[in-house]
Amino acid sequence: MHSTQYTTVFILALTSIVALVLAGMFTVLKPIHDANEAIYNKKEILAAVDPAAENMSDDEVAKIFSTKVKQYVLNAKGEVVDAKTANGLLLKAEEIKMDKERKKPEEERVYPLYIYENADGANYIVSVYGKGLWDAIWGSVALKSDFSTVAGVAFGHKGETPGLGAEIKDNAAFKKSFIGTKILNAEGEFVSVEVKKGGAKDRVHQVDAISAATVTCDGVTDMLKEGISVYLPYFESLKKGK
Amino acid sequence: MEYINIFIKAAFIENMVLAYFLGMCSYLAVSKTVKTAVGLGAAVIFVLGITMPINWVISTYLLEPSTNIISSLYGDQIDLTFLRFILFIAVIASTVQLVEMIIEKVSPTLYTSLGIFLPLITVNCAILGGSLFMVSREYDFGESVFFGFGSGFGFFLAIIAIAAIREKIRYSDVPPALRGLGMAFILTGLMGIAFMSLMGIDPANLTAGH
Amino acid sequence: MADTAQVKAKEGTFAFGKKEKQLLSDPLNDNNPITIQVLGICSALAVTTLLEKALVMAIAVIFVIAFANLFTSLLRKSIPKEVRMIVQLIIIAFLVTVVELTLKAANYPIFKELSVFIGLIITNCIVMGRLEAFAMANRPWRSFLDGIGNGLGYGFILLIIAFFRELFGKGSLLGFKIIGATPEYIINTTAGWGQTFFGWYANNNLMVLPASAMFIVGVIIWIQRSKYPRLVDAS
Repeated sequence: MHSTQYTTVFILALTSIVALVLAGMFTVLKPIHDANEAIYNKKEILAAVDPAAENMSDDEVAKIFSTKVKQYVLNAKGEVVDAKTANGLLLKAEEIKMDKERKKPEEERVYPLYIYENADGANYIVSVYGKGLWDAIWGSVALKSDFSTVAGVAFGHKGETPGLGAEIKDNAAFKKSFIGTKILNAEGEFVSVEVKKGGAKDRVHQVDAISAATVTCDGVTDMLKEGISVYLPYFESLKKGK
Repeated sequence: MEYINIFIKAAFIENMVLAYFLGMCSYLAVSKTVKTAVGLGAAVIFVLGITMPINWVISTYLLEPSTNIISSLYGDQIDLTFLRFILFIAVIASTVQLVEMIIEKVSPTLYTSLGIFLPLITVNCAILGGSLFMVSREYDFGESVFFGFGSGFGFFLAIIAIAAIREKIRYSDVPPALRGLGMAFILTGLMGIAFMSLMGIDPANLTAGH
Repeated sequence: MADTAQVKAKEGTFAFGKKEKQLLSDPLNDNNPITIQVLGICSALAVTTLLEKALVMAIAVIFVIAFANLFTSLLRKSIPKEVRMIVQLIIIAFLVTVVELTLKAANYPIFKELSVFIGLIITNCIVMGRLEAFAMANRPWRSFLDGIGNGLGYGFILLIIAFFRELFGKGSLLGFKIIGATPEYIINTTAGWGQTFFGWYANNNLMVLPASAMFIVGVIIWIQRSKYPRLVDAS
């Protein structure tokens, strides 16, 4: 048997050593973690236009982002603004956390917008965020410069069922089926793109749902409708400006 | 009402054992008879219900950079989330030990029936898993209490169900090599698939009907 | 079967004789952590949809269990008995955090995929079980080997499960297409868009669901015990 004093000292010593080592590791690795996270997010954004982005090297992604991608921060009215971070620095679009924005009152939210020029012309990439079956889902939608035709999409999710809901991220064919659909109808009104259970009838505004993943697919439909609508005032102002 | 929804969701729809397959070790080891299963299940409800709110307080006021006390003292955001695993498991282990001592003093009869399971619970993935889910789903304090009890109840249900089936199946003609453990695995897989039919039910929005 | 915990260290500290070899090979079959000791099932189910995830998990567990065994064995004489469990858990949680921080820096996408399951290595009963049954009573070198052996036995089963789940669930292994082909959208001018499979194999979604891992473990146990009837337990 050891005395209570010995036990206390032993536990305290062990915990302090362990905490110190971890604090050291954390401080050293933090910049790498942050850089990894930034690249990961950038890949998700680029993947909306080019699915091959997921296999690009980190340097390539960083290079495309710094040379070919312009990023803006929009407010709830669709105006480009210079938002500030908590530390008073200029907020970049890639630093916006969609989940944190959702917790703010609607008129205080800011939204990221990316313009990616590739061989096919300018792609306007918007970020959307919503709820799937289990947890959060999010995505990037690239629109062509008519602000209606979808050039591509990429989705992510926190914990959808593998093989079912998780297919929104993993199934290349599902993402590809969005290409060419339009978010505006013939009259120029916003109708969004619907993920339709039982097969899409209207190929311009609907895509086929993933079987047995109804709730996740409905989540995608709602997310697109809600998420893209906040960008409409901005697109209107660009159209007028032309 | 929202709290009750979280409870129902945690207990049935997002059942720790049958939807996430967490807490498998003790679930398989202690499900040979219904009687012992009830003991373990009760202990899990107890420990999950207690540790979840405690870990919530620790996570919110000690670890998260935007809300912790140290940040507000220094005025700068200090990220201590790397201590999460150590603190969570320390809370769980000490709660279990505390609970064990209290039960031993207060009710020796309960201790003899429950006591042997308590050390097992510390390394039950469902307990730590519950706390980690609570962090990643960003529950508030009240929600974490109901999530804790709900998950515990879900574990209770699952372990009693498998124990009852295992008691019955002893009289069936299972191939010798598959008897016991092998059959328990396959049964759990089937139960998991059965529970998938509850998937996607949102107790808050039952009228929507998909 | 002989409990490995009773192996007494008599030879030199770093000897590698028959006993040591047994420490590495026993957990692969006769004393396999998953199929015989029934430990560490949770992570076996969650991370085995893809071979790559299972491989990373297996390496992480081997690392944690080997070093947790080593550290516990080094400290075994000075750990106060009353707080034994908490001390062991602190050591394990420390190593798991090291793994998490390293993985987050080395391979971020895999880190994202594994999410909470890295943290759950702490409650992987194999680690705790080996500390209690072996490291508390044996010398550091042997404890270290015992840790590697059990980690290998665990990883071995994990890889078998992941092999079948990825092969039949995704038609690929380590991301390379093996059977069937990726379904593609093609443009058919008369019928509009349509999904077409360029192959004979449609992915089996059952294999992607966690429940399928239970079936595979069940079948592995069945095969193992049919081959080695001495492993059958009565209940």
